[in-house]
Parts: sequence; structure tokens; C-alpha cells
Amino acid sequence: MSLLLVLLLSFTMVLSACGGGGNTAKNEPPANNQTGGNNQGAANEGSSNENLSPLELALKGEYKGTKVSMFGPFVDADQVKFENSIKEFEEKTGIDIQYEGSKEFEATINIRVDGGNAPDIADFPQPGLLASIAKTGKVIDLTNILDQDKLKANYNQSWLDMGTMDGKDGKILAGIWNRSNVKSLVWYPKKQFEEAGYEIPETWDELMALTEQIAKDGDPAWSIGIESGAATGWTATDWVEDIMLRTTTPENYDKWVNGELPFTSPEVKRAVEIMSDIWMNKDYVYGGTKSIVTTAFGDAPGPMFTDPPKAWFHRQGNFITSFFPETAKVDEDYDWFYLPSIDEEYGKPVLVAGDIYAMFNDRPEVRAVLEFFTTGESIKTWVQSGGVIAPMNDASLDWYSSESDRRMAQLVQDASTLRFDGSDLMPGKVGAGTFWKGMTDYVSGTASLDDALKQIQSGWDN
Amino acid sequence: MVGRKKRKGNKTVVNVVLGIICFIWLLPTLGLFISSFRPAADILQTGWWKVFPHQEWKAGETLQLSKDVDLREPIEVNGKTYSDDQLKAGVSEGDHRLIWENRRARTINVQERGWEVKPNFTLDNYKNVLSGKEYKLKLGDGSETVQKGTGLSQAFWNTLTIAVPATVIPVLIASFAAYAFAWLRFPGRKTLFVVIIAMLVIPIQVALIPILKDYTALGLNGSYLGIWLAHTAFGLPLVTYFMYNFISQLPKDLFESAFIDGASHFTIFSRLILPLSVPALASIAIFQFLWVWNDYLVSLIFIGNQPNVQVMSMKIADLVGSRGNDWHLLTSAAFISMLMPLTIFFLLQKYFVKGLMGGSVKG
Repeated sequence: MSLLLVLLLSFTMVLSACGGGGNTAKNEPPANNQTGGNNQGAANEGSSNENLSPLELALKGEYKGTKVSMFGPFVDADQVKFENSIKEFEEKTGIDIQYEGSKEFEATINIRVDGGNAPDIADFPQPGLLASIAKTGKVIDLTNILDQDKLKANYNQSWLDMGTMDGKDGKILAGIWNRSNVKSLVWYPKKQFEEAGYEIPETWDELMALTEQIAKDGDPAWSIGIESGAATGWTATDWVEDIMLRTTTPENYDKWVNGELPFTSPEVKRAVEIMSDIWMNKDYVYGGTKSIVTTAFGDAPGPMFTDPPKAWFHRQGNFITSFFPETAKVDEDYDWFYLPSIDEEYGKPVLVAGDIYAMFNDRPEVRAVLEFFTTGESIKTWVQSGGVIAPMNDASLDWYSSESDRRMAQLVQDASTLRFDGSDLMPGKVGAGTFWKGMTDYVSGTASLDDALKQIQSGWDN
Repeated sequence: MVGRKKRKGNKTVVNVVLGIICFIWLLPTLGLFISSFRPAADILQTGWWKVFPHQEWKAGETLQLSKDVDLREPIEVNGKTYSDDQLKAGVSEGDHRLIWENRRARTINVQERGWEVKPNFTLDNYKNVLSGKEYKLKLGDGSETVQKGTGLSQAFWNTLTIAVPATVIPVLIASFAAYAFAWLRFPGRKTLFVVIIAMLVIPIQVALIPILKDYTALGLNGSYLGIWLAHTAFGLPLVTYFMYNFISQLPKDLFESAFIDGASHFTIFSRLILPLSVPALASIAIFQFLWVWNDYLVSLIFIGNQPNVQVMSMKIADLVGSRGNDWHLLTSAAFISMLMPLTIFFLLQKYFVKGLMGGSVKG
């Protein structure tokens, strides 16, 4: 009897809790026009507000109390920094941006979009993923939603080109760039580097000469690690991309990314061979070539921070500083130099990555939030706390709290060619599949260069 | 006498085998447990077994070689020549070992063997997981602030809020269903039962997108009710089957006499079946609870990662950071998330074994 009572009690509790759960659920009505550039937002309600953009309306308090859901891959420290950067906007406008971060973003976003549960705004670290969703017509075209002149004034044209993708019917502006990372950087332990009397190499030949010099002095110059669980190999793809940009035309790079220039072509082969001059020389790599595949990319910079350093160079994007020891200070203990040009005629190309924000539900407050994300203001506090570069032109260089970050922003602004991380643009089965695997096989010695390139290329065919 | 001895011998063999299996089973858990008390730097550098006293090479006298020794040629040390690779890995020389101390300065260390008995323990991992990590943030004026993240407590209550109803509802419904399938005669009984059993083989992944579409239409996404229903539906076939096996084996005479005394089906169910099937209920409840507690996929799809509904498994996954830089926290987080299932298991353990037998032994 008592058991029955317990069961019944718990059942009633369940029922009462059901009511509570239902109330706290966010059940915003899904917006209807998901299919294209429908331009009937509430932006032009009320004649006095006619010429104001959604952002200006929002700042006047027009959308107070509304909610905008957002989904992206930032978790943990990144999430805290992101939330800090939108706090002021939320307070000013009364719009509640409900950010949801997930480590499984890449896997989940497709399910959410297919299930009709797309967030209002999604943050894609891989534009290739957005491109595949844009083809289905579920991403809203921003061409008529955002003021194109303002966008052109605030972004380098390369960024806008990279945000333009194939929609269901023709090209659409699928997203806008908010946060960017620079990849063409070589980190080095500054203090000891200067003490040893080395000089920053300006050309590839100088870089190789210095590498040889360091080897003679008794250290392997480079510390390289490409282990990253299921994503093992991605660091190697960044190297190939960086070298490709320095040894062939940007047009060839674009063709390569689009699958028109095969991996087996001489251009790609040459890039990998140049990379091999460093990677395959056991005197140049900390732990020797065989340790590259087994060293986690996050552990790789470690040897630079021992005293004396056991390795001197580490080529990686600016995010890697979060893996540096906490005691190491930027501009004092470590710094970076630009990975030098190889063939002079291709200038100073810079490899970048970043986060592109796309819109799935068209409501006036969502437009306002998205417009906010095109301004430098939206990322100001994050820029100040270090580790990201703002792609917008109105982001002041004074915001950067370290000389190192400021030089990176400068590097991006002055770049002769700006290209996005190619493996993130290629379709997943190549860019996040055979490319990773082929490079890993090549470096670990299980495949010859030609076989590895053939294997990578086969990702395009099936 | 001989026979007794033999039996005793057999027992020893069984015990030894069991002991070995237990050891193999527990070793990784023990390693994880020890790791959870070690500082992050130690976890990254050495294995957990190094906390026990062990012999290690210790730094001794330093030999200075000439500054212009070519490292690519054989290197002469104390009259013997070694290759660079040997000196990198360390080369034994009697009870000493020669290894580079500073290759750049051309110094070699002559190491001696010694005992290392200084384990380094900390509660930092638990502190970070329980009360939240501290994020150092630089402000515009160059100063630093520390912002505290959230700990596991909110996620713990969220998970409990999900797991308890998601266990009670399916077990309750399945018991009703099992009784009906076992003791009521109605048309289509066998077909229905086969259909339910057939559901066992359908992977839940195929149902995710269709259910998500329905949930979107009903506004159930991200709500507790939605995830209770999802877990209930995914759990029902197995629970029904398990309860049917048990309930159908109860003696028929019991119900017949109750019927003759005028008991309704509901009275029989509540007064006879439920008390008699406590072992089965307890063991299937443990199964279902564990499944829901450890679930990641269903929560990921239907409830998402908003802090007010986020479950433990997702919170723990987030702890390691966007790029996995804090994975050492998984050690302590795993132990904390293990506590609840362990408690439940030990509380209900005596039913657990009985219940497992209940489903399998016929007669």
C-alpha cells in the first residue's frame, strides 16, 4: 500500500512538475519566412522611424523584452568572453540574447535546422558547413537586410566575398564575420631568442638558414604536433595552406579549395615538399619527425617555455596562446613573426579563420542583433581581453591590450591577400576527412607523398 | 577427503581468476581516481603510477664539454664516444646515466638512481569542477579581473529533475502494460506485444529528426516535459519486456482467488502485482536511471545547453574548454558524476541481483 502511495505521489509530482517545465520552456513562435530575402521586417513601422536601421531602433528601446536565440561553439572561457561582449548591448536595448554553446555544434546544427528548431542566429566556425546549409535555402539572405554600403565600408572586400555563398536560387550573402583568427604566425620565445642573438627571418631562405643555425647550436628549431583526437592532422593542413598561398596565385588557391586544382597537381606537391624540408628533417623538429603525429597540438608549444627552450619556433594561429603556460607573458616571454614569403611575387598573403554568423529566423529584433554583430563594438571587450582579432574596420587598433594582438590586426589589414583556412572551406569529407588523414599518413611514414596526395584527392570523388 | 580438497582447490582458482578480473576492471578506475587528485602539470607529464615510491634517475654532477663540439659527429665524453641520439635518450654507464643537461651549452648530466617518494596531491580539480572555474579576463585599461564560472550544482539538479521522472514514468507505464499483456485477454494482444518488442531493435538515432520536428510544432523543445517524454518513449520497449517477463511468471492462482473475492484489475495490480514485483521494479529502475543519468545524445538534441536546463554530461563536456585545453578536469568531474549512480546502486543493490534472476529463471 505504502509503495502505491509513493508511486502515486511521485506521479502527481511528475504532473505538477510538467506544468512548471512547460512554462519555463522557451517557446518562441518560429518565424515563417525562412526561405529567402523577404524584406518585410518591422523596420519600417511608424513614419518617424522610417530611416532608422534595426540597430538604431533597438538602441531606442524599440525591441525591449524580446528574445533572440543564438547557438554556437563557444563554451567555457570563450562563452564568458562572448557574453561579456554583448552585455552592454543587452542592457541598452533590452533584447535578451540567449546564447547556447555546445561542443557538438557541428553535429547538432544540421539536426536543429532539419528539425525546424533552428536558432535565430548561428555562429559557424567553418564556412563550409554554412555553405552546405545555405544550399537548402534555409539561411536568410542578408543582401536586402543589412545596408550593403555600410558593410562594404566596414569590412575588407575579401571578408564579404567569403560570406557570399550559393543559395537555393543564386548567390546570397549568407553571413557576416564577427570574430577572426590569424594563422600565418610563427611563435617564438622572445627573451631567449634575443639573448641567443638570433634575428627575425624576413624571407624563407633566412628562416631555413636560422633553422639550420639553431640545429647546429644544439636545438631542434621547430616544435610541431598534429595530434587532435578524431581531428588529428588539421595542423598539417594549415601548413600546406600557408605554403600554397606563398608559392602559387590566390586564384590557384581558390581553385584548389573548390576542387578544381587537384591535390596531385605540381603546385600542391611542391607546397608539401617545402613543408617536408622542415618536417622530415629529424634535426629540425623537436622529438624528431616521428613525434609529430603523437604530440597533441596543444602540448606542442610546451618545449618553447622551458629554460633554456628546447624548441624555438611554433607555427600556429593566435588561439594557441591559451595553451601557453599561464606564467608566460606576451611581448616579453613570447612573441610571433609572420611566416615569411617564399616566392616574392605573391606578396604577403595571410591565412585567416573566423566565425561567420548566419540568420535563420527573420524578426526585427534578430535583424537588430545581427546588425550589431557587424560593428566592432560587438567584440570590443573580447578584443581587449586578448586572443581574437576583429575583422571590422571600425574596430580600433587601440583596443588591443597587447602589442602582439595589435600587430596581428595590422597584419590582417595590410595583407596583400587574405584567404580563409582552405580545409574549413572544402567539403567535410575532404577538408575534415581525407586531407587530415592523408597528411597524417604521410607524416607518420605509412604513405609516400604521391600516395598520400592521391588518397586526399580521392575524397573529392566519392 | 580427497573430494573436499579438490573442491577447495577449485574455489581458490575461481577466486584468483575473479581477483584478476576485478583488478583489471578496477585498475583504470583507480588510475582515474589518483589522477583526479594530481595537479594538471603532473597529469600532462607523468603517469598516475608515479605517485607511488619508485626509482628514478636523479640529477648529479654536470660535465662541461667544449663549446664547439659538433653534435652530428660522435661525441667524446670521459674517453668514450657516444652518438647524439644516445645522449638524447640517456645512455647507461655502470650505475650512472649520461644525458644532455643543456645541449646548447654542451653540458651533460651524470645521473644516479634514487628513490622518489614525494607524491604531489591537490584538490584543485575538484574545486574547479564543483565551484566553477575562474576565468582571468583583461579589461580595456589593462587590468585583470577574475570572473567565476558556474559549478556543477545547477547541472546536478537539472539532471536529477530529468532523471527521476524519466525513470518513474516509463517504469509505471510499463508495469501497467506488462500486467495487461500478461493477464488480460484482449484482441490483438500478441500482435501488439510483438510490435513493442520489435521497437527494441530500432536505433533511437533514426527518430531524432522526426521527433524534433514534432516537438518544434508543439513547442516542447528545451523543456523538461519534452525530454521526459523522449526518455520515456525510448525506454518503454525494454522496460515493458523486462516487466512482462517477471509479471507473467507470477503464480496464476493468486490472481484467481483475488478475482473470486471480487477484486478489480486495478486492485490486483496495486495490491498484489506491485508488492510482488519490487525486485524487478528496482532493478529496471536502476537500469533506466543509469541510462538517463549518463545520457548525452538525447539531452543534446531535445533540451540543449542553456544553463537553466543543461545536464551534467554536457556541463562536463564543456568544462574542457572550446579546444580541449582543460581536459584534466574530466578526472574529477567523472568521479563526481559517478557518485549519484553509485549511491542508487548500493541502496537498491539487494533487489538488483534478485531482479536480474527474476527476469531470467523460469518455472
